[in-house]
Amino acid sequence: MNDATWSIFAAFCVLLSFIVVGLRQKSRDSIEYGFGGSFTGRIGGGAAIASNWMSAASLMGLAGLIYLQGYQALAYVIGWTGGYVLLLVLLAGQLRRFGKFTAPDFVGERYGSPVARLIAAVISIAISVIYCVAQFKGIGLIFSFMLGIDYRHGVIYGALAVVSYLVMSGLLGVPRNQQLQYFVISVSFILPLMWLARKLGYFWILPQFGYGEAMGELARRFSIDIASPFLHGSLFSWCALCFTLMVGTAGLPHVLSRFYTVPNIREARWSVVWGLFFIALIYWSAPAYAVFGRLLDAHNGHLQPIAAMADLVTLKTLVSADIPGWLVGILAAGSLCAAFFTVAGLLMTGAASISYDIFYSIINPRASESARMQVAKGGTLALAAIVLLIAINPPGLIAEITAVAFALAGNTIFPLFVLGIWWERANRYGAIAGMLTGVLCTFAGPLLGGVWPQAAALFPITSSALIGAPLVIVVMIVVSLLTPAPPEEMRRFLEEEVHGHLD
Amino acid sequence: MSHRDHRYRVNLFRPKTGHMRDEVIIIFAILFGWAVCTFGFQILLALCQGSGAGSLLTRLTLFGLPLHFWFTGQFLPLWFIVLCVLFNLYIDRITEYHSRRRDRNYE
Repeated sequence: MNDATWSIFAAFCVLLSFIVVGLRQKSRDSIEYGFGGSFTGRIGGGAAIASNWMSAASLMGLAGLIYLQGYQALAYVIGWTGGYVLLLVLLAGQLRRFGKFTAPDFVGERYGSPVARLIAAVISIAISVIYCVAQFKGIGLIFSFMLGIDYRHGVIYGALAVVSYLVMSGLLGVPRNQQLQYFVISVSFILPLMWLARKLGYFWILPQFGYGEAMGELARRFSIDIASPFLHGSLFSWCALCFTLMVGTAGLPHVLSRFYTVPNIREARWSVVWGLFFIALIYWSAPAYAVFGRLLDAHNGHLQPIAAMADLVTLKTLVSADIPGWLVGILAAGSLCAAFFTVAGLLMTGAASISYDIFYSIINPRASESARMQVAKGGTLALAAIVLLIAINPPGLIAEITAVAFALAGNTIFPLFVLGIWWERANRYGAIAGMLTGVLCTFAGPLLGGVWPQAAALFPITSSALIGAPLVIVVMIVVSLLTPAPPEEMRRFLEEEVHGHLD
Repeated sequence: MSHRDHRYRVNLFRPKTGHMRDEVIIIFAILFGWAVCTFGFQILLALCQGSGAGSLLTRLTLFGLPLHFWFTGQFLPLWFIVLCVLFNLYIDRITEYHSRRRDRNYE
């Protein structure tokens, strides 16, 4: 067996083991019925948050962008960790008391309007689709890299694998063990990095802090400066990107829903802290891959980063450092798992939203349970097909595509949640106007850029929320003040239950 | 204001007294720490570029990394964790205080 076969074998084993463990857990759960609950303490809750969060963007795209852009790409690291601060202080506790965790549910309940609920559902589905495109690109790249085929075939095989995984785990009813997932994903990311650092002769016990020396060597021997600030963009673009990712984090559909499974607010808050720590472990490591990648490139005579390999920089760095094939396979498997589970989660919630928020609530309110089930199943396949069509010609790097999903979430869902929780006067008209403005802001660059070039500069497609989110909040406030106040009952609920529970 | 005219009010900038007020104070304190270190530092870095202070920020090293790279790439995520811990400790305390005042068990 050569190295490539070992990689494929290792990746296959890891994926299979999740199904086996899931099935074993399922049979145990049915014996100790009621004790196999999903809450496993604060640390377990944190690991579940982190495993929900880890995707191809974190494990592949992040290192790729740092490899290309150096300091400028640290905006992704900061944006994807700092968002949890916003989420925790502004929304976590209040949302838990409010008791609605998906955007359409919250909007439907708080603003009491089927139209607003429908728009929120469509936006959530759009966010899921954009997010999935980035994951599909990651899956396609890994498949093409491991099997030695072109990207087009890789992404098609990858899509087939994801859909069959979805169907299979749906048929078998495999529960997800998120603690195990986080453990496997983080080990598969950090272990090869330690091996790599050791092989290159740097401090390997904590490679997250050991790559500084490699960066010094890059600067001294090859005069490559990764660290210089604002070389690949201005202060505005750094801050806009960072802010967009932060508000997007606080508005992403699959992040908010985590608060549902913890028993009380206190546990929810503390598991956010653990989740943030587990996420930071990965984000401290990603720059190390990028720096080692640049260093090996430079040794091989490439002083400029190679744009084509950016999203595969973690894997290709291992290969060019002659790391054993099974380790490459483990890293590939970890990234593949992260992308798989993210896609599975997003497609299923997206399909559930099509079935409930659009089909059941609006098209056919008398639909039977089984008809709704059929719509959900068809919806999963339809969404997967749409995602595949876009992913065949990916519009950008993995992290960039993901950032567009964050921008949409930050421009629409974040203001809706923050004002909905913190201002009793926000009403349905404000919500609808706000969501429409948010969508317009997100896509202002490509839509209006031709007519009005300023739009593209103010609302860059990956980072439109720095101006977009405050603008949406202003629009919501103005429209709400011009229209009648929301019903007394909702305002009482907000004051007495959501905010006044202890007074 | 007569009792009949009572309007329910929730406003982040005009919190009621009691639990919500304590909560809003800590929220603003944490958001301040979050904004200053994230965006304030980048603005400082951009303003100092090319000057003596700027080269101090980029030339001093910590763990072999230039100071500004270390601050953004390694310290800020840690700082966010610290902020979250502080927030939780404080909220735990005020929740306990107000629960006791209201003679209710800790939820």
